[in-house]
Amino acid sequence: MAAGTSTIAEATERQRRLELKELLQKQYKWIDRKWDLVFWVTAIFVVAGAADITKQLFAGDWDFWTDWKDPQWWPVITAFATIIIPSALQYIQWAAWRFPTGATYTSVCFFLAAWVGRYFQWHVAENYPMNFVWPISTVCAGIILDWTLMKTKSFILTSLIGAHVWAILVWAYNYVPLAPFLQPAHFMDHVLTLSDVQGIVYIRSQTPEYLRLIERGALRSFLGETQYVSLVFGGTVAFVGYWIGQFIGRYLAVWPIRRYLKTL
Amino acid sequence: MAQSQAVQQRPKDYGHSAIATGRSPHPTDWMVGWKPLFWSCALIMAANIFLWCWNYTFAFTAGLNSASPEFTRYYRTLFWGELIVLGIFTGIWYGWLIRTGREIAGQACERAEEVRRIAILWSIIGATSLSIYIEASFWPNWDGSWHQTMVRDTALTPTHIPMFYFFFPLSVILAIGAYLYGKFRIPALYARDKGFPWSFFLLISAAVFECMQVAFNEWGHSLWISEEFFAAPFHWPFVTYGWLASGMFAVWGETILRLFEIEKAEEVATTDTRDTRFQPHAAAD
Repeated sequence: MAAGTSTIAEATERQRRLELKELLQKQYKWIDRKWDLVFWVTAIFVVAGAADITKQLFAGDWDFWTDWKDPQWWPVITAFATIIIPSALQYIQWAAWRFPTGATYTSVCFFLAAWVGRYFQWHVAENYPMNFVWPISTVCAGIILDWTLMKTKSFILTSLIGAHVWAILVWAYNYVPLAPFLQPAHFMDHVLTLSDVQGIVYIRSQTPEYLRLIERGALRSFLGETQYVSLVFGGTVAFVGYWIGQFIGRYLAVWPIRRYLKTL
Repeated sequence: MAQSQAVQQRPKDYGHSAIATGRSPHPTDWMVGWKPLFWSCALIMAANIFLWCWNYTFAFTAGLNSASPEFTRYYRTLFWGELIVLGIFTGIWYGWLIRTGREIAGQACERAEEVRRIAILWSIIGATSLSIYIEASFWPNWDGSWHQTMVRDTALTPTHIPMFYFFFPLSVILAIGAYLYGKFRIPALYARDKGFPWSFFLLISAAVFECMQVAFNEWGHSLWISEEFFAAPFHWPFVTYGWLASGMFAVWGETILRLFEIEKAEEVATTDTRDTRFQPHAAAD
């Protein structure tokens, strides 16, 4: 009996695979690879724009300058601001094609847009050196977020695990280029970091203060653990950001399509 | 669906690509359905490069004091020039879309022609996507670097003039234009009797909301936070633009589903024709 059921199940599965294969190899008259190419290329711009504006307006100041990349606020705000659009695209690409690639795609688009903006608008137009205004990258965190979705096949688990990993990786990956600017320097009888010196030398007359004294308050007394407290809290706010992104993907991008599908 | 049932099998000339390749023309050839994508993106990039070069040349020499004669000559002129160009372009384009759209309303449409129209709609959406990137990423970077170093004395700063008063309205124009194109030329999806589509509602409201947010932003800077902290609370509503622009994915999704419908109708029509053709032989056998 069990053997018979197993054979029927295998035959059904084989039939399903054949149908899928046939569907995959189906020749259409007008649907060709050009549609794919146009979609993936033109979507780069709206995705890059959405990701970059979200980051700039929530966490822009921490990303613009090396002296703002502190251990207290930068890991928290950046993790929140940068996960929103990758999460939305992760949902869209998973719902449409079961591609676990949305966060990576967004991160790459965002990385390119950020570098174009930073090079032309900050370096060429305003003469800030690139080693003062370089943008962060979320590509590594995007790959791991997609990998988490691929392995768990669950948005809930991805938000719980992936958001915390996101916060850690965004900080860790970008700490590598930041580390040289955190070396101590003797400047006008004070011990500062190199990034602090950059902030003094390159004058920003319209910002609230020339040298932003970021590390203040009780976290300074955490015996050097400020960074880790911030990273854990960064994961918590990234979790919130992840679900804001899910809302965008589910209700602003995909819901209208599902609504139309019901009319067919 | 009404479109599929009202199809005609008359072959259509799609232009010079067929002559160049020696094969039958195809509505999705690069120089047929996709041609508007290249032209529109080239025009947008040309405008962007012009405005960037203008700013690079005049921002520091004429853009620092809004009360100066140089500012009036180089920047107020540019401001009005942008609005006039956009106004003329909008009048001509929308006028053409509506006039020709009314002429073809109710006429039967070939399946191949509908595919070509969907490709053109995608081209307009692609141009909108590029405009969104320029206004949401490219120019805000210069706006950030400018305002964190220069004194703000007017809402018409050198970086605002290209961004707020050219690319912001351009995105509104392109989004509404895309809807008008779909409404008249792809009635199976966007005809008036189907109601206003959520996809375009989100996309258009994103662009319109962004323009309205400019007013809130300038008002906030005038009395609340005059110096430029880029993550200032009254900057936050700008992000909704990027979020609502997700409606663009809904436009892509809806039209892809429509393409599959057209393919299915074509397949059915071809099968019917083949069956009819071979029927006599079958009977003879």
